[in-house]
Amino acid sequence: MKFWMQRVAMAILLLLSVSALTFGAMNVLGDPLFNILGPLAGDVNNPKSAALIEEVKVKYDLDKPLPVRYVKWLGDFATGDMGVQFSTDGQPPVSGLIKERIPRTISLLVMAQLLAVMISIPWAAITAARAGKRSDKISTMNSFFLLAMPNFALAILLKYIFSLKLGWFPLTYKAIDPFFQQMRQMFLAAVTIALPAAAVYQRLLRTDLITTLQQDFILMARAKGLSRSRVIFRHAIRPSMFSFITVVGLNTGGLIGGSIVVETVFRIPGIGSSLVESVLREDFPVVLAIVMLIALAFVIINVLVDVLYSIIDPRVRR
Amino acid sequence: MNDSESSSPTPLLEVSDLKTYFRTERGTVKAVDGVSFSLQRGQSLGIVGESGSGKTVLSRSIMGLLGRNNLIREGSIKFNGQELMGLSVKEMRSIWGQEMSMIFQDPMTSLNPVMKIGRQIAEPLMLHLGMNKSEARLTAEKLLTDVRIPEPQRRLNQYPHELSGGMRQRVMIAIALACGPTLLFADEPTTALDVTVQAEILHLINEQRVDRNMSLILVTHNIGVVAGNTDVIAVMYGGKIVEKAPTKTLFSSYKMPYTEALMRSIPKLRQASHTRLATIPGRPPDMVNPPLGCNFAPRCAYARPKCLVEEPELTVTENPEHVYACFYPVGSPEYHERKLELSQRVDSLSTGGQN
Amino acid sequence: MSEETVTVSDSADTEINAAIQKKIGWGFWLAISWVIFITLLAILAPYLNLKDPRGYFIDIDGNGRPPYSPSFEHWFGTDKDARDIFSRSLHGARISLIVGFSAISFGFIVGGSLGIIAGYFRGWLDKVISFTFIILLSFPSLVLAIMLTALLNRSLFTISMILGILSIAPVGRLARASTLQFSDREFVLAARQIGASDSRIILRELLPNVVIPMSALALLGMAVAIVAEGGLAFLGLSVSQGITWGSLIQIGSDSATTLENAPWIAFFPILLLFLTVLSLNFAGDRLRSHLDVKESSL
Repeated sequence: MKFWMQRVAMAILLLLSVSALTFGAMNVLGDPLFNILGPLAGDVNNPKSAALIEEVKVKYDLDKPLPVRYVKWLGDFATGDMGVQFSTDGQPPVSGLIKERIPRTISLLVMAQLLAVMISIPWAAITAARAGKRSDKISTMNSFFLLAMPNFALAILLKYIFSLKLGWFPLTYKAIDPFFQQMRQMFLAAVTIALPAAAVYQRLLRTDLITTLQQDFILMARAKGLSRSRVIFRHAIRPSMFSFITVVGLNTGGLIGGSIVVETVFRIPGIGSSLVESVLREDFPVVLAIVMLIALAFVIINVLVDVLYSIIDPRVRR
Repeated sequence: MNDSESSSPTPLLEVSDLKTYFRTERGTVKAVDGVSFSLQRGQSLGIVGESGSGKTVLSRSIMGLLGRNNLIREGSIKFNGQELMGLSVKEMRSIWGQEMSMIFQDPMTSLNPVMKIGRQIAEPLMLHLGMNKSEARLTAEKLLTDVRIPEPQRRLNQYPHELSGGMRQRVMIAIALACGPTLLFADEPTTALDVTVQAEILHLINEQRVDRNMSLILVTHNIGVVAGNTDVIAVMYGGKIVEKAPTKTLFSSYKMPYTEALMRSIPKLRQASHTRLATIPGRPPDMVNPPLGCNFAPRCAYARPKCLVEEPELTVTENPEHVYACFYPVGSPEYHERKLELSQRVDSLSTGGQN
Repeated sequence: MSEETVTVSDSADTEINAAIQKKIGWGFWLAISWVIFITLLAILAPYLNLKDPRGYFIDIDGNGRPPYSPSFEHWFGTDKDARDIFSRSLHGARISLIVGFSAISFGFIVGGSLGIIAGYFRGWLDKVISFTFIILLSFPSLVLAIMLTALLNRSLFTISMILGILSIAPVGRLARASTLQFSDREFVLAARQIGASDSRIILRELLPNVVIPMSALALLGMAVAIVAEGGLAFLGLSVSQGITWGSLIQIGSDSATTLENAPWIAFFPILLLFLTVLSLNFAGDRLRSHLDVKESSL
């Protein structure tokens, strides 16, 4: 119990620090006034714009000191109010944008993670069974190449081959299409994220499998006359999954970074592409909100994985 | 314990000049270097040797369980008249578990820690005998009863770590016996167990052997283990069989000095308490570059120059079942000569005083 | 009489450990050669007889409308504004490589120092520094980079610094772990005993030893920085007005028609980027296993 509380306290401290830093950075390094009013913000001598400036200042609490603004913002954020989008006409609430876009990013990430796991397990089993042989060495080389390819480059290559040349997947994503269609549209994007992740998972699982396969009970299983695949899948995989599960969990955060690029290449309107757009438009409340959400997700996932770890491995529990 | 013999039916197992070498970075390790013997149905053979003598490799090589990488395996292994050498792994798989099976040394590590006992026993039943789940379960229960495990139904659903060491070993035996093999290998079956349990397990194995008319090859470093449980004993050293005889004969008239040393190292009831256990000085030979001549010569108290240069062949005694490989065996004039010298030396040390 | 008992391994498919190698392998040198080669090309780019990277080589009569496919005239072809890709790729290497190099250097200097200090002095200093590392690692790195580029200007220096900040945590953690490991070794205790000051110990004893395992990380880190810069450039967030591999790739892939009909625009920069990252990864990986083995044989 104490262990968990420690962990959660640490996570909260982390989140507060992260949010404070982010908020501080946004407001100190950036200029919110400029974002809202544009060039007018600098035009203090003109009485009309000066009045406008004052109005904005009061409206968005820009005249209050930073820590006060931070606390207020934090409070708002916790209750779901993420401010408004400065750069869009009418200044609709940021939370609306987020609500609209999050499901797509989540679907993308879930699909990617599933694909990665589905690919890596058989891949690891086959290469572990043939460890040291030619096919294993070739596989290692291929993984290496795959991991050297930046994800945007991989995205482009996949788009070129499978969308443009082969025409297997549609080029555009339409949010109004039925579920299945959407999945098909997101497929290449998910694959782009999944492949490097699968390579990482496979490498780890393969090593663990090889270690497990050296164990006595594996020899015993073979001595029973079980076939190779039976030995691997029925006996070797389960004891080897421990690190695998941990890595898959921890990597979920890493996938988020991948989704940013991939959403842009495949034109999927999710959180990632929204982040990029709002950065280019200098719409800070949106940037702030998305960065915070991502950090939040990241930290929560890490804590969950830690907790899961301690449940599975009794040695870690205090 | 029957001393059955030759002019009878075809042996169940016939091993001729089996060699098993491993290619490693240090060189080629000659783990098994020309082993031959034959075994009748229902007969039990004990293979005794120190660690490094090649006995474990021998049993696994006969069964064919060794990995193919960097392995050199020569010779002939006839099982029920069928030549096993050269069979593919796929072909061997129909023999493993069904005709030949093995009990391993450490039941804690040899059983799958995350799989229930019942399933581990049922596996070969379903695979080889084509049973369905419920049939297999029933049979598994019966097997557990055969190996004297109380409350068999409960045990079926348990995991290995929930059982004691002795019980785990019984489970292993149950698994090995499941499909009714004709040949059972027991590789150091009692080494990982408490002394009190060892005797029970050995008794159980023997009982099953007799009931099922199974042949048994019992591999161990402890000559005491094979004393009451085997028909024939083969002593291994440096990858070769250096003496082989029916059990009673071996104990009463062993010929090889190494065998003598092994016998000496067993603590005996009639020895005074706190008698120092005799150990065999030195270490097993380097199997990459085995010594010229007799493998045991460097450590042998009775060795003479010839032993270091020439390798002794297996010679037969008056009893055709008893063979040994030594130039100056126990009982020979040279043996007695040396023995006298040694006892004189010991006397002078104990009386003489310092030094 | 032999010196050791030979134990025969019975387990079936033991992997023959190829890591026990005496040499670092020809692959390592091949990879390093590529890196040096591309760096030289990048440095010399303005002096080589290349076409103007920002020039428009439209030649309607001769070649029709751009983009032109690869030819003798334009080795890598041109983009739809008839800019020479070969020249742009080499010029693009300049920024990509400079950023990669500066970023990891910055990360090493700052992260390395922080890590060594944390590992050597421990106590509250260690706690604070380690916590900083954790905060930095709480963001997916691309997100942090994007956020910072949003706020700061986009000069070469700033972008390098931003990516440098990203590498502080991984470098720092390794430096700290290495330092902790070495601090317990005899030679450090010996130096302490004769009264050497902390800074002397750090500089003379620890630093040289800690640097060695980190050298592999330098190569790997540079690869990561180059990819990160590529990603930023691809999203339009890297050095403003700069030609970098990432921006070239973006230009080549922005519209589906361009990508479909003139794939060379994106593919050549992708190729250069890929080869460079691959070489750095490979060299770093080789170096790491080579050093690991030497370390364990001590």
